[in-house]
Amino acid sequence: MAASIGTWLDERLGWRHIWDALFLRKIPKVNWLYTLGSATLFVAINQIVTGILLTIYYVPTPDQAHDTVQFITTQVPAGWLIRGLHYYGASAMVVLVVLHMVRVIYHGAYKYPREITWFSGVGLLLVVLGFGFTGYLLPWDQKAFWATTVGTRIAEVTPVVGRWVLLVMRGGEELTGVTLARFYGVHVWALPAALLLILSVHIYLVFRIGISSVPGKED
Amino acid sequence: MSADDAKEPQETQNDEVNRRAFLSSVTVAIGALISAGLGIPAVAYIVGPALKRAEEQEWISVGSASKVELGTPTLFKANVERKTAWITDEQELSVYLLTEDGRDYVAMSNICTHLGCRVRWIDEQGQFFCPCHSGVFAKDGSVLAGPPPRPLDRYDVRVEEGTIYILGG
Repeated sequence: MAASIGTWLDERLGWRHIWDALFLRKIPKVNWLYTLGSATLFVAINQIVTGILLTIYYVPTPDQAHDTVQFITTQVPAGWLIRGLHYYGASAMVVLVVLHMVRVIYHGAYKYPREITWFSGVGLLLVVLGFGFTGYLLPWDQKAFWATTVGTRIAEVTPVVGRWVLLVMRGGEELTGVTLARFYGVHVWALPAALLLILSVHIYLVFRIGISSVPGKED
Repeated sequence: MSADDAKEPQETQNDEVNRRAFLSSVTVAIGALISAGLGIPAVAYIVGPALKRAEEQEWISVGSASKVELGTPTLFKANVERKTAWITDEQELSVYLLTEDGRDYVAMSNICTHLGCRVRWIDEQGQFFCPCHSGVFAKDGSVLAGPPPRPLDRYDVRVEEGTIYILGG
């Protein structure tokens, strides 16, 4: 049954050819450090799924944001789990992305012909940090408020454009509901769009070029 | 590469579970486990608040019994504090009160039983009209014409020291 449906679809979509190219491709002899990218992708999918679920109850306004987060954590069935996965997943993302990058540096895997994979990876690192920075404000508690106050003040130290960066980040002089709304918008629309775009380039190149082997003595 | 091929020569013909088939079914099993581990809580998370039972009903004061006109449904409005999830707000509850003798009162909801629009008492015709799909109700709330499937809903009424209370939530 499943096989005949698969054949029916394959005649029209040619998915088996693509499946083989993606998952049955030849790879060099590698070690467990090479799974860090896949691990990051796995946690990213977790962040997307749990993040979408959180938006069902979360409201990004100063009078409701904190109440909705409390409601999710204490009232909604499995809300503590969904939020917990998103919360700890966020930290895991940063850790895994950095470890993945360190492995690529260590093995020299950024070299020709994988420069664009590397550049897009650097873009993804910035996107992940952006997610962390904007997501931290959303619970709208004291820690969130003061962390973002400090974070935006740090951005202000940037030479020449710093003052302007702070104003754009906060949406004004002070950290207000305007800041919360724009951080939310960036967190759930701008950054996911950027992530998906850069991630597709990144993964396409992994499949197209293949992964690098562990460098030998002569490399 | 050729050495690898030689080790598993009949991989494709072999009906027994080989390394590749075993690993791919283990992968599928782990994937299914993780999907269920997140999928089942996700369903509970989405439907949970929808299945929550309504709050206890209580007697709500709607106004003075002396303001109800004899033989004519009179509209009363009461403000009720409602708590939905994390939001507590005041909602306006509208109710038509009818008495024929000044002793027995009937309280009817002004919500059309068809699709929830608000009905209105029109004195000249002596009927309730719903503007949305032309539902018509009689003075006692029974359906006279149009699509409504049942009479207007009624509240339990209590009169205490000249004040009318209805049971609602």
